[in-house]
Amino acid sequence: MNEIRSAGFDSGMDAVAFQVIWSRLVSVADEIATTLVKTAFSLVVRDNHDYACSLYDARGRMLAQSTQCTPGQAGSTPTVLQDMLRVYPAGTLAEGDVLICNDPWIGAGHAPDVFIATPVFLDGRLSGFACTCAHHADMGGRLGATDARDVYEEGLIIPVSKLVEAGRENEALYRLIVRNVRMPEKIIGDIRAQIAANHVGAEGLKRMMRDFGLDALEPLADRVSAHSEAALRAAIARLPEGEVVNEVRHELTDDAGERLRIRVRLTLKDGEARLDFAGTSPQVMKPINAVLNITRAYCVFPFIATLCPDLPINAGAFRPVVVDVPEGTVLNPVYPAPGMYRSLVSYFTVEAIMGALHRIAPERVMAPSGTYPLWIQKLSGEREDGTAFVTIFNAQGGQGAFADRDGVSAVVFPGNIASTSVELFEHEAPFLVERRGLLADSGGPGRQRGGLGQESVLRCLSGRPMRAALSGGRLVEPAAGLSGGGPGACGAISVNDGPGFVRAGQTDLREGDLVRLAQPGGGGFGPAHERAPEAVARDLRAGYITREAAERDYAVALRPGTLEIDESRTEALRRALAG
Amino acid sequence: MSLLRLGCDVGGSFTDFILYDGDTGAVTMRKVPTTPRAPERGVLEGIAALEAERPGLLDGLEALIHGTTLVINAIIERKGAPTALITNEGFRDVLETRREIRYDIYDIRQVFPAPLVPRHLRREIAGRLRQDGAEHAPLDPAEIRRVLSELAAEGVRSVAVCLLHSYANPAHEQAVAAEARALGLDMEVSLSSDVLPEIQEYERFSTTAINAYVRPPVDRYLGRLEEGLAERAYRRAFLLMQSSGGVITARTARAAPVRLAESGPVGGVLAARALAAEAGLDSVLAFDMGGTTAKTCLIEGGELPVTRAYEVDRVHRFKRGSGTPLAVPTVDLIEIGAGGGSVAGVSALGFLTIGPESAAADPGPACYGRGGTRATVTDANLLLGYLDPAEFGAGGIRLDAEAARAAILRDVGEPLGLTATEAAVAILGVVNENMARAARMYVAERGGDIARAALVAFGGGGPLHAVEVARRLHVPKVLVPAAAGAFSALGFLMAPPTFEVSRSRPARLAALDAETLAREFAELAAEADAVVSLAAPGAALSHRLYAEMRYVGQGHQLRVRLEDTAPAAVSRAFAAAYRAAYGYAYDDLEPELVTLRLVSEAARPGPRFAARPARAAPARERLAWDSASGGFVPHRVVDFDGPEAEVAGPALLVQDGATVHLGTGATARRNPRGWVEIDPGSME
Repeated sequence: MNEIRSAGFDSGMDAVAFQVIWSRLVSVADEIATTLVKTAFSLVVRDNHDYACSLYDARGRMLAQSTQCTPGQAGSTPTVLQDMLRVYPAGTLAEGDVLICNDPWIGAGHAPDVFIATPVFLDGRLSGFACTCAHHADMGGRLGATDARDVYEEGLIIPVSKLVEAGRENEALYRLIVRNVRMPEKIIGDIRAQIAANHVGAEGLKRMMRDFGLDALEPLADRVSAHSEAALRAAIARLPEGEVVNEVRHELTDDAGERLRIRVRLTLKDGEARLDFAGTSPQVMKPINAVLNITRAYCVFPFIATLCPDLPINAGAFRPVVVDVPEGTVLNPVYPAPGMYRSLVSYFTVEAIMGALHRIAPERVMAPSGTYPLWIQKLSGEREDGTAFVTIFNAQGGQGAFADRDGVSAVVFPGNIASTSVELFEHEAPFLVERRGLLADSGGPGRQRGGLGQESVLRCLSGRPMRAALSGGRLVEPAAGLSGGGPGACGAISVNDGPGFVRAGQTDLREGDLVRLAQPGGGGFGPAHERAPEAVARDLRAGYITREAAERDYAVALRPGTLEIDESRTEALRRALAG
Repeated sequence: MSLLRLGCDVGGSFTDFILYDGDTGAVTMRKVPTTPRAPERGVLEGIAALEAERPGLLDGLEALIHGTTLVINAIIERKGAPTALITNEGFRDVLETRREIRYDIYDIRQVFPAPLVPRHLRREIAGRLRQDGAEHAPLDPAEIRRVLSELAAEGVRSVAVCLLHSYANPAHEQAVAAEARALGLDMEVSLSSDVLPEIQEYERFSTTAINAYVRPPVDRYLGRLEEGLAERAYRRAFLLMQSSGGVITARTARAAPVRLAESGPVGGVLAARALAAEAGLDSVLAFDMGGTTAKTCLIEGGELPVTRAYEVDRVHRFKRGSGTPLAVPTVDLIEIGAGGGSVAGVSALGFLTIGPESAAADPGPACYGRGGTRATVTDANLLLGYLDPAEFGAGGIRLDAEAARAAILRDVGEPLGLTATEAAVAILGVVNENMARAARMYVAERGGDIARAALVAFGGGGPLHAVEVARRLHVPKVLVPAAAGAFSALGFLMAPPTFEVSRSRPARLAALDAETLAREFAELAAEADAVVSLAAPGAALSHRLYAEMRYVGQGHQLRVRLEDTAPAAVSRAFAAAYRAAYGYAYDDLEPELVTLRLVSEAARPGPRFAARPARAAPARERLAWDSASGGFVPHRVVDFDGPEAEVAGPALLVQDGATVHLGTGATARRNPRGWVEIDPGSME
């Protein structure tokens, strides 16, 4: 409990009162999220839960965020309000104002993530802010610009602005947005949903202040931050101290044609984790640069996930992880670097750090996953009746294994968005999904097997023009195993009998075309020939692995014509391998 | 005919019977041990014992109403039949890949429940429908016969047939069922188009798989029970409690056992609804706190809230998304890991935690002296003087205050640097806030208005915590019924025969005409009435019509009650419902209809709240914690049925098995019809 004391609590009683108030804050943040999901139009928010909702004190310091939110956005929420207040100092705000901003360098690294903040006034005094960040279905720019060379191609950037001023909508700004986006009614609908959700949050915050007799939220913000910081420091301090360097080579290349490199030096000392990214590739003229906010989010994520998943996320949680990324690199690009598909790179930050942690505390980490980059297919065009559609199809790969358990198959990680229902998808878009299921042998072999990837096959049914922006990854470089485990299967994208894509890209589709997507598997953990023969037999019976893989990768001998394991021959095979 | 009704609830340890006599208003309860291996034996033995006490009981009975945990236990304990799933080519992993989303963002070690049907028994067949129900590729009957025969040879007793878009056209699924019948296999067949004809494959497949999985054991059990009752010459209604709060005949239940999964917690909600009607309240929040969990349910306009987004078999009991979806009508309540037995401790992060782990009744809280040593909510209530060590529950347990003090000091006080009293105050503060937080979220998610609701508190712990929870929720009024501990059991006997049917027909409202809508609803009505008539022969039936609607492009449907099915009226009802839920509606967007629902219900009078005579009882006093002054002050201890019309806090109102805690500022008014009405006052 020394960490509590050091966090500045005067007494235990005080700590309990604080806890009750904090619990209420999270409940208010969750109410914002609930309202947002229920009123939003875009599939991205309502079904994929691609949003983050948070509360702040009057100085723009974060108090709490919704239980459900994406880690990437969660990384920007601690700083976004202060950036907004630099443009509109607190003293200039009035009741009825609403602020908006989607500047990638202030927010979450790409234009679709729109932050909307509402100042909260209690008895005429500015007390705090309610803020939502939602991923919008469109923000203008080129559709699926997977080859964008700068941020100007990636849609409308709204610098910190007043969307509503003293209760009056900023008409010019609304007109500007409507004129720059596809499906403006959906986009404006989502903006309104964000405003409505903030309103619910503002009311909840005021009610909470009255209930607990608080006249200001600043002391609370100090405590929330101090508490998270102390807890994370204590958790890091329990790991052995040390310094390791790890490097991840990405299958995508830099502007000189070299494979991208994420290089990290991890130093654990005195309850602090220092991450130095010197040696990481320079920023590129491809839409995959991850702004510092995003990088920071995915630097903190592995520590919280492996050490204390219940930690309240706020500015304090970010302090014990000191991130040093040279400016102008792919993990800290400068304007106007494009970054629409930043997760193609940023998720690998998690892998780089997990790999470093593996050398210090192997029992805590997960092997590399086939779940990143995300597989999101953007499909647009016209139905047979001439009506337009734009929709997405999500299906993800397999997670890496741990030292003590197999990886989860077909799951989203480290982002968190739901997959698309095939039946709903077929109602929205003129496609028939011919297959969607796990791929045998796609999980990395290991003492603990990597999670399986899957295969999705989409047949195009409309004779009218259609376009697909197909994105995914690990098409060349699979998710590696750890501690002797094998890699998961690579991903694949192809149209009809054409050659496999070597990177994500766009294509026109015609009636009858077949789009084939194979999402990659996760890496295994530990040598495969150490996997318990019963586990191999179970995998065989379920069809997670084939007979060939059982014999080849797992060194088990099968009785001829059966899926049963010949134990004595298996033992001999494995003894030879071990010897 | 006299109104004599017998309820029977088979629980883990005891089989409870509740007999209601409409002539006298008397409610009697009886417990017999549950016979886990053949639960029907306990039921039949209990009935025999009751009949011995009251000869002719079965002849005079209007209905036997049965609730069972058999279904939910079979799922949780994985004790269903060997089950297979037949689906379209390319889709055998729908049950396994779920919605792919993680239920906790940061916990990378999270796991998911294993599918009820193992992968090698999930088989694919040729044939495919499009989203409008048109055939895209035909079935191959020879392949279907081969697959069915192979599954039978593997020992499969039950099969779920789950084909894409079968809600739009059940023909392919029905063809598979026909092949199974023609082969004469000893195999139950559950079709997803029967079990849940609604769009979204994962939820439909999952629900159908659960139905198939529990069908053989439920069928056997109910069959044996019906035989046993026939041997006792019982010929009146034998009804099963559904998760939706209505009852159906055993015959219906045997084909659709998935509808019985959560029949347990429904009783309290039904009783709270009846109390709301009796008290003339339009909106009540039922608050049932027992030993292990607390449950909350919002009832508005006399209508039970029913959800189809229920989950069972959660890996993390209180984490949404960690279970298996069961999308049949289920009373929409939330369960919070906060009961009297919930264990208090301090987490690695220095937070005071309550539950979800519970000491339950066995070993029980530290103060029970039955082997439990860990600090619980009940221990905190005892230490603060809210419970009388000499008179606790109906079980005649004497509570050990010293054991409670020691446990609280060790588990909470010392780690946080608090005295035992401070720690107990902290425990109640946190558990009350936890319950309030969960209730607030629950109401917000349903678009309700908590400030309009009255709290109806029952269960062993509800009355004790109700005033504090109400203050935190800004609920203006609390009702506590007499016999609050047995309130749920009473609700059992109030369940009307009902059946809900649905059908997904995604279409823009503008594309539908009045005739089509009327025909669809008439078909649904015929289907539901046939089921309800079995449970209530000759009774007048009423219908409630609903449409699940959204604006074109939205993904979240809003359930809209329809009085009139003409498209213009449907459009108006949707706009009104949308405005009520979210504060605004759009003129420029087009409404879309996704699923039609209809509930058929038979009118059936149930137990009423009877006037209770006041009884004189000596008033006493006890020292108990007063949060307003931050110290122990004398609390008046008043009999719940005492003669005082009004009691002001600080006071404790005691009844058998429950105590109402009235803090300073709270006032209770006695209603002679069997409840008290409390003005909770505000938080200090």
